[in-house]
Amino acid sequence: MSLTLDLFTVAAVSLGAVFFLAGTLGLLRFPDTLSRLHALTKADNLGLGLVVLGLLPQVASPLGWIGLIAVWLLALLSGATAGQLLAGAVRPPEWARLTAPGPGKDTADD
Amino acid sequence: MSLPLSRMARGVGFFGFWLLLAGPGVLDVAAGTPSGGPVAWAAELVLGLLASLAATWASLRLLPPAPGRVRFTTLARLAARFLWQSILAGVDVALRAFDPRLPLNPGYLAYPLRIRADTDRALFGAYTSLMPGTLPVGSDTNGALVYHCLDLEKPIAAGLAGDEALWRRVRMGGLGDE
Amino acid sequence: MNEFLLAAAGFVLVTVALGLIRILRGPGDADRILAAQLLGTGGVAAMLLLGVATGLPGVTDLALLLALLAAFAAVAFVAGSGRGAAGGATPGVAEGGTGGEEPE
Repeated sequence: MSLTLDLFTVAAVSLGAVFFLAGTLGLLRFPDTLSRLHALTKADNLGLGLVVLGLLPQVASPLGWIGLIAVWLLALLSGATAGQLLAGAVRPPEWARLTAPGPGKDTADD
Repeated sequence: MSLPLSRMARGVGFFGFWLLLAGPGVLDVAAGTPSGGPVAWAAELVLGLLASLAATWASLRLLPPAPGRVRFTTLARLAARFLWQSILAGVDVALRAFDPRLPLNPGYLAYPLRIRADTDRALFGAYTSLMPGTLPVGSDTNGALVYHCLDLEKPIAAGLAGDEALWRRVRMGGLGDE
Repeated sequence: MNEFLLAAAGFVLVTVALGLIRILRGPGDADRILAAQLLGTGGVAAMLLLGVATGLPGVTDLALLLALLAAFAAVAFVAGSGRGAAGGATPGVAEGGTGGEEPE
């Protein structure tokens, strides 16, 4: 039983680490700021979630579980909010024009 | 849930969270094994009460209770969808980041969001910022929510419409619709 | 098990530290704050791993604090940059409004 739980921990934490690596790669490789922000918020939150999931079997007390999950939820909430705020702050000044007529878009200019 | 009741629920929630953060120390004392004596224990509790009062005050100021009712069964469905979609979002972005060809087709999409209430728009934006390939960057003058998308080839508007439909069913009324 | 958790904490820290290259490269301040955000989330994960591996309960509180500070850093950056939040319309910028439906 303990071995199964340990294997679960190793699998989940390792997978979580892979997503942190993906977040870093995205931050370094993606071509523009907003795309990098995608990589950051989505990959990191999944990475943190997997790390928390993997740590749960290693913690004995229910209070410890709640604490871990609280940290994850707070990081999720602040990541989503900060991501949205940063996106609003870093959008290029011409962002509205960029949404204007593109191939196949039905748009109405006024 | 009536408004004063929902205010009290917030206060109770914050105090519960404080108890959680204060950890086993305070809870053990409550169970009858005082570590720093009853005075220190009472002082901690008073501190926690003050902190949760301040948090409740700030929360009610910044995020007043919204009108309308929340349907909790649909909220559970929304949470399940969120969990699954945010996993897909992480996998999607990771595959793109690891791919040597770096398959991206970024661009903007104006989604005509019909929800008008500010708080709900912000919450919807935060929710969708963790969905695959979407990141809200602002509202245009027509009130559409503008998204930066990682891959415009994906059926993004359809996904957002599904999210919005579920969202509307959770928040019955009080969305300030057009 | 503890050795594995410590190694994982080290791996995550090194990974997010690599992201700091973005601070050197920039080009904009926003790109740099992204690297700081990455360090925040990665730091939280590393601390949780360390906390469980070492059995020190206080480390979880530190992780909570770091998550909070990372959020404050982002909000402070946005407030300092003088642009509004995503929720509000920005008149004068958005002249090309669209009622766009995206092709499937």
